[in-house]
Parts: sequence; structure tokens; C-alpha cells
Amino acid sequence: MEATSKEFIQQEPSVLDKKFLDWKFLEWKRSIAGQRWKQAAIATLLALLIAFSAWRCNVDLRSFVLGIDKGIPLVGMFFPPDLSSLTSMLQPLAVTVVMAMAATILGMCLSLPCALAASSNLAPPFLRLAMRAFIALERGLPEIVQLLLLIAIFGLGVVPGLVALSFSSIGMLAKLLADGIEEIEPQMLESVAGTGATRSQVIRYAVIPQILPSLFANGLFRFEFNIRAGVMLGAVGAGGIGYVMRTSMNAMDYQKACVAVILTLILVFTIERVSDFFRTRILSGGLLR
Amino acid sequence: MLYVTNIVVTLPNGKRLVNQVSFSVGRGEFVAILGSSGAGKSLTLRCIVGLTKPSEGEIALMGPSGKTYRTTNVKAQELRRARRHIGLIFQGSNLVKRLTVLENVMLGRLGHISPMRSWLLGFKDSEAREAMVALDRVKMAPFAARLAGSLSGGEMQRVSIARAMHQRPLVYLADEPISSLDPKNADAIMSILQPLSLETPVVGAFHQPAAVAKYCTRALGIRNGKIVYDGPAQISPRQLEYIYGESNSDLPFVDSETKSELYEEVTV
Repeated sequence: MEATSKEFIQQEPSVLDKKFLDWKFLEWKRSIAGQRWKQAAIATLLALLIAFSAWRCNVDLRSFVLGIDKGIPLVGMFFPPDLSSLTSMLQPLAVTVVMAMAATILGMCLSLPCALAASSNLAPPFLRLAMRAFIALERGLPEIVQLLLLIAIFGLGVVPGLVALSFSSIGMLAKLLADGIEEIEPQMLESVAGTGATRSQVIRYAVIPQILPSLFANGLFRFEFNIRAGVMLGAVGAGGIGYVMRTSMNAMDYQKACVAVILTLILVFTIERVSDFFRTRILSGGLLR
Repeated sequence: MLYVTNIVVTLPNGKRLVNQVSFSVGRGEFVAILGSSGAGKSLTLRCIVGLTKPSEGEIALMGPSGKTYRTTNVKAQELRRARRHIGLIFQGSNLVKRLTVLENVMLGRLGHISPMRSWLLGFKDSEAREAMVALDRVKMAPFAARLAGSLSGGEMQRVSIARAMHQRPLVYLADEPISSLDPKNADAIMSILQPLSLETPVVGAFHQPAAVAKYCTRALGIRNGKIVYDGPAQISPRQLEYIYGESNSDLPFVDSETKSELYEEVTV
């Protein structure tokens, strides 16, 4: 008589099998218990860390509460916004947009060769290592630090801001692209190389078509980021709307600063919508094929 | 003619994955390489096209005019020249998914195009029309403008064959061309390869003795890196058993004797 699948699952395991299963069950139980213990240890450690840093940094809850008291009337001083300053702000706003756009395009163009050199399936090991180190260094320095260094070289203005944003765009895009290139199936590259194609032809016909959508999608994402970062860098001295925001705050002209804040919000939301629109179309394959 | 002479592929630890494999393939032949997974079938094919370097042995390809191309012990440029004459048909996912079907077919001719032109101008219309003919031979012309990534497995395999055909090679190498396909699609692919082999020899690695017996002219059996069978494609069950060896010997498997040893450890 043949056992059906239902009977098969209901069959009692033999004595030997039962002992084997018990043994495996205990092993599993032990590993679970070990994890519980680890989780508790990590939670305790985190709590201690927070307590320690609050104590070391003299975090005083009183000053926080007092600050709120002082802050509420200050918020009132931002209103009503001084709309007469609106026209004078369109130019710095445009500067911020152009700076972000130029930095993104430069970053996209330069990140492609960097990414090719940083991927293990195309570049020789020493070149890959050097390029990965450069990218890591680039990503390790916050934009604001780069800007401060560049201001020392170029002086105040849009140029250091543009260069700082371009460099950090390269850092991010090259890393994402290089990771993308390393994920291309080796068979795909081999089958193109197997027709007698040179390495540069393999890059042209197998690598670039595969990563181009990701370059543009990530580039759009980076553009959004560059707008926000550009406002911040502007406040430190790279011009644009951020600079206007800071100077009017310093001059206690809060109603003017309010206009700058509102304009920045509108700008960021608009750019986000536009880039979302294009990004979904690129990734779904409609745009860029 | 394709000549494979005494090729050996050795792991760093000294184990030989391909051991003294020799065979030659001539006009009109459709040769199937059979053997269990890991026996060395794919590795032999990879050696022929120079994707894996054999530690010993020679591989040569001779054209009708007597010109010889080698893929062993040659410089990169010479290897590329030899590869132009080898049509590769991989299993499944070897197409560039973000390129159109027709572009994928045209990739077959990259070896004849200068890299400079590839970057600046791309393919010519005349090349596209030629590729269209190859695409039509595998009945995929209606899909020319589609992205390769949107095709089904069987369709991709056809395009892959069209690419190899467009290359006008001296030999076709097919690495498990029907392994990931359903029986109907597998049959369709085999009935494309079979007439192809009348003009240009085809060497393929297969896991389907029945399909091999139906379509191929000759079979090679590989076991543990060695050729153990070279003869007609219709292989007797006993010979098949010899090629594939006793099954399951290398699968992780716990028998009851090992189990009893295991639980004793715990009860102590």
C-alpha cells in the first residue's frame, strides 16, 4: 500500500529520528536564548551611552524649557512675511538652482569614469583600490567641511559651493554606480567579450546600457539633495538663497527671512515632484528606453 | 575544424577539473557533451573560447582556407581575433537586457568593428539589416525593437542563437542551451541548431540524453574531467549509467548510523 502525502506527514518518526529531532530542537533553543541575551545587552549599553553623553555634555533640561519660552514670541516676529522683498530674492533663488544643477551634471559626467575604475569586474585591483579610497575619502568629508576648505582657496561665492557640491556628487554617484556595475551578471559581460569584442566595446555595449538608467535616477535624486545642501552651503558663504536667509536673520529682518524660507520650501517641494516624475519613468524603462 | 588537444584545467590545490580532454569536430557534426554537473562540460567549452585558461593543452580552430586561430597560449589581441570565429550560445541570461533585441544580435559582429566606431557612430544600417535576416532565421524578427530583458527564456535563447549566427562563426559552442526551457521550447531550439550544424559544426553541453539522441550526430561523455565516451548520439542505458556514475554520492546526506553517533554526544 502506497502512502499518500497526507499520511506521510502524519507518520510517527522512529525512535532514532525522534532523538535526532530533539537534539536539533535543543540546539535551536540554545541559539535563540543566546540572541535574547545579546539583545538585552545591547539595549542596556545604548541606555548607558545616552546617560553618559548627557552627563558629559552638561545637557540641561532647564535651558531647553527656557528656550521654548523665548522662542515663541520670536516665531511671531517672522509674520507677516515681507512680500516686498520677493522680487529681490528671485535672483539668489536662481543662483541656488543653477549651482545645484551644474554640480549634479558635472558630478554625473565625472562619476561614470570613476565608477568604471572602481568596479572589480572591469578595473585591475590596484586601480579599483585607489579609486575606492578616493571615493571613501570624498564621502567621509561632509560638504560643509569641503566648502570651508574650498573657500580658503577660491574665496567666498558660488565657485567653492559649486566645486564642493560637484565633488560630493561624484563621491555618492560613483559609489552607487560602481556597486551597480559589480552587480552586472558576469555571463553578460563574458558573452559580449566572447564575440571578440575589446574591453572598451564591452563597456560601451554591456556596461553602459545596463547602468545608464541608474545613473540618471540617482542623478535626479542627487539633484534634490544638492538643492537642499546648496541652501545650507549658501548660508555658510556660497551665495544664493541661503546667504540671503542668513544675512537677513543677522540683520534681525525676520519678515524678510520668512520669505526666503517660504521660497526655499516651495522650491524643494517642486523639485522633488519633478524629479519623482522623471525618476519613475526612467526606472520603469519608458524614458531612456 | 575544431581541434582540442589534451587540455587540462587544474585547481590551485592540484585537483584536475578537466583531465587530458581531446577531440576534434568537423563539418556537418552536431556534437553533444554529456556528463553530470561539475564533470567539466562547461569548463571545456569555456576553455575553447578562452574564457578559462587551461593549464595544459592546445586548442585550434581551422578555417576553410586553412588559416588557423588559437585560443591557448596567445596574446589578448590574437585571442579576440579567434573569438570572432566562435559563436557562443550560453544558457539563458546572457543578453544585454537594456539593449533592444536587434542590437543584441548586432553585438555578434563587435569583433569586426573598431572600438572607435563603436563609441562614436555605433552600428551601420546595413549591419542592422543583416542582423534582421539572422533574427528572421530564428523567427524573432517581430521582436526586433523590444528590450531583450522583456523576453521569455525561450525567446532569449533564440536571440542568443541569432547573435551567434550573425557572427558567421567557424564553430558554434552552446552551453546547456535547453536546460532552462520547457520541453516544447527545448525542441524548438534543437530544431534550429540541427540544420545550423549542417553548415557549421555545433558543440553543445546537454543534460537531456533523449534530445541528444534525436538531434545530434555524435556524443562525448565526460566523467570527473575525463572523456569516457565518444561515439554515436544514441547511447545505451548502460553506457549512460557509466557516464553519470552512481548518483547522490556527493550530496549532503545523513544516514541513520551517523545520526546515532550524533545523538550520543548529547545524552552524555
